[in-house]
Amino acid sequence: MMRVISTALLLTALFARAQDDALQKGIAEFNHGQYAAAQASLERAPDSPQRRAFLALTHAATGHCDTAREELAAEFAKDRASDLGRLTGLALTQCMLAEGHYDEAIPVLARLKALHPDDADVLYQNARLYMKAWNDTLYEMFRKTPSSYRVNQISAEIFEIQNRYPEAISEYRKAIEKAPAALNLHFRQGRALLLESHSPENLELARHEFEAELALNPADAAAEYETGQILLASQSPQEAVKHFERAVAITPNFAEALQALAKAHLDAKQYPEAIVLLQNVVRLQPANESAHYSLMLAYRNAGRAADAAREQAELDKLQKSPQGEFTDFLKKLGEKAPKQ
Amino acid sequence: MIRPIAVAALFCAGATAVNFRNVAPEAGLTDSIPNGGAQSKKYIIETTGSGAAFLDYDNDGLLDIFLVSGPGGTNRLYHNLGNGKFADVTKEMGLEHTGWGQGVCAGDFDNDGYTDLFVTYWGANVLYRNRGGRGFEDVTAKAGLKQDRVRYNTGCAFLDYDNDGHLDLFVANYLKFDFASAPKPGENSYCWYRDLPVACGPRGLPFDCNILYHNNGDGTFNDVSEASGIAKPDHNYALSVLTGDFNHDGLTDIYVAADRTASILYINHGDGTFKDEALPRGAAFDDNGKALSGMGVAAADYDGDGWTDIFRSNFSDERETLYHNRGKAEFDDVTLAAGMALNTRFVGWGCGFLDIENRGWKDLLLVNGHVFPEVDRLGIDVHFKDRAIVYRNTGTGKFVDISESSGPGILEKHSARGAAFGDYDNDGAVEVLINNQNEAPTLLKQSTKPAGNWVLLKLVGVKSNRSAIGARVRVTAGDRTQSDEVRSGGSYLSQNDLRLHFGVGTARRINRVEIDWPSGAHQVETDLEVNRVLTVTEPRP
Repeated sequence: MMRVISTALLLTALFARAQDDALQKGIAEFNHGQYAAAQASLERAPDSPQRRAFLALTHAATGHCDTAREELAAEFAKDRASDLGRLTGLALTQCMLAEGHYDEAIPVLARLKALHPDDADVLYQNARLYMKAWNDTLYEMFRKTPSSYRVNQISAEIFEIQNRYPEAISEYRKAIEKAPAALNLHFRQGRALLLESHSPENLELARHEFEAELALNPADAAAEYETGQILLASQSPQEAVKHFERAVAITPNFAEALQALAKAHLDAKQYPEAIVLLQNVVRLQPANESAHYSLMLAYRNAGRAADAAREQAELDKLQKSPQGEFTDFLKKLGEKAPKQ
Repeated sequence: MIRPIAVAALFCAGATAVNFRNVAPEAGLTDSIPNGGAQSKKYIIETTGSGAAFLDYDNDGLLDIFLVSGPGGTNRLYHNLGNGKFADVTKEMGLEHTGWGQGVCAGDFDNDGYTDLFVTYWGANVLYRNRGGRGFEDVTAKAGLKQDRVRYNTGCAFLDYDNDGHLDLFVANYLKFDFASAPKPGENSYCWYRDLPVACGPRGLPFDCNILYHNNGDGTFNDVSEASGIAKPDHNYALSVLTGDFNHDGLTDIYVAADRTASILYINHGDGTFKDEALPRGAAFDDNGKALSGMGVAAADYDGDGWTDIFRSNFSDERETLYHNRGKAEFDDVTLAAGMALNTRFVGWGCGFLDIENRGWKDLLLVNGHVFPEVDRLGIDVHFKDRAIVYRNTGTGKFVDISESSGPGILEKHSARGAAFGDYDNDGAVEVLINNQNEAPTLLKQSTKPAGNWVLLKLVGVKSNRSAIGARVRVTAGDRTQSDEVRSGGSYLSQNDLRLHFGVGTARRINRVEIDWPSGAHQVETDLEVNRVLTVTEPRP
């Protein structure tokens, strides 16, 4: 009897160990991307939260989101901060994106990002979410409203990012023809013309676009600023200053316009006036290298050597920043300066 | 009353036709100068060469021509025959040499009365001693100028930084490059231009440092780069060199145009050391505090205030840069105010100030051409081969772009690099020699003689170095005083005429010539005739 019992116990122990081995094997196979084998091993393993979670992850990885989704959601709700929680959350959003349920994916990814802010997989899924949403919306837009001016506008903006300025200009032109009173089209058209070339012809065309924008919206500080810049390049500094002043009157914390005004004072050797404006700009934008540089020269020209040296040190620190090229890329996207 | 009317007529924009023609074919300059790929370029080394020089190697009073070549050809020396034609004398003068030739500068380093040549290479530089105008001898090793590793040497200039009467030598270094380890087009993010895979760099390639050699006065040089502070900074992609006493302290300073990084202004402290002060002095960046892609450099007192100003050519999508010297080598970027902000589609290289109409105001000419032949596939307004640019000095601190009306020579499209300025036929008009990539050179000459009077000053040092490099000259004619300085190197990796050219408008005599020699001697000559070459020898101590 004892022998039978001990044999049964041994068999039970062996069976339990085999089942435990099946779970570990399944997890290892999942981690190695051997999903079919992982599924087979995990299905042999006894039921446990860990088994259910990895089986759901395996199902999600093999595209069986319908089978996996409920379990993934349950596991993610249980323990989001753990590594398993992170994995189930990522798989859950992957399923949601695959099924086109962007609204449901947004809060899950937001929670993941809050818990794992530096995680490459989490950031990637976030980027993917917005890219897929962008693509689907764009498709919808082209399908449902192919003749709208918005389709031309969005096409132009895409061409701009691709450095295809002639095509961008052509699309903006079509958008303006369809919606002559729509705000921001003339501004973007002007920007595209400037990005294409700074030839006198393009400067003139761009100036007309910014003026057209101002005719529609006299409170457009960015259009005032761009007009001023063109007039400056076209050797009309006094006219340019009027536009910079109007831009600042509309948006008092418009750093670029304040800086342009300061440069006009510098050119006129009005160093105290320039210094006050530039001090304001660096207060608004402490990382603005250009403003620190102008302020350094203004101090130098005003004979304030110690202040100039301090600004030089500040500039030196800022210029070691590695973010320059990406910032340039962002600038190229052509967004108006944010209101500060 | 007659004089003001004449002056007014000269200042009127359309009054005098500027008409540059390319006379290279009839002058005998027909051989193509190879320089890397013509249709595409795999490495950065194919993009940067090469310079040109005007020098009078045989002291016959006529400027000869030297052109630096990339591999596949030799550097070339052309002798000026005096009838508008040049003869290739490369072989008989001992100057045949192949390799990745970059820059050239000239100066009489051994004070024997004949101008010597220094040629820079990716590889090994060469110092050629001029043997009495009868030939050149490679004295690089003898002079102690052999380099212990392959370096990407670019611009160069002879200068007497310690005013001991012997010409020292500055050599700019671009970056560290070798074919084996250089990334290929498209290989990393620094190997793309507007979605085209192109030759990589300079970004992403390791920096090198510049070199200063001290002339020991016995035909040898010592590398004093570390001791002098020239080896610092070491994070700039240095190309062209411009020497000058920018702060009028009697010591020669050095300005270096750097690509994609801050340009350098080495201020000479007079104790054998230099310090880069470009940033606080306002000559490192553009007026937005941004480092541009500096290529060529030129200097002139363009506004007649007595201080030497600096012009720097840059890359496309950037403005050219005009730095106004507000005194004591403190500079302001006045590009926009001076009317030079519109030509942003060009990649500029060789450049120089010259008085095109001999009005007494220095105009500016620069040559262009993109670095990547592939850019032509884009169908945009940026081209591998492009025309030159001419700015007319209005005499009010502003310039007017007159390129389109300056003649067919200006409108010819080439991928130009080096440009040298000099009056090769002594007719009072400055000509321009341009080294084009994979084409014959261009020789720009005006089709009609400028209306204004002029003088060419050839200075001969006695206690100072024989070439008078570093001598500062003020010329007063009529009611205007102009200033200039004898300098080696400059433009883009090139050498201009060592003589100084001054247009004096309607003035019939030169009232006064003042010379500050590097030795400290001050010389004044008065009441001199115009429209001739005047040789002025430094007074013996």
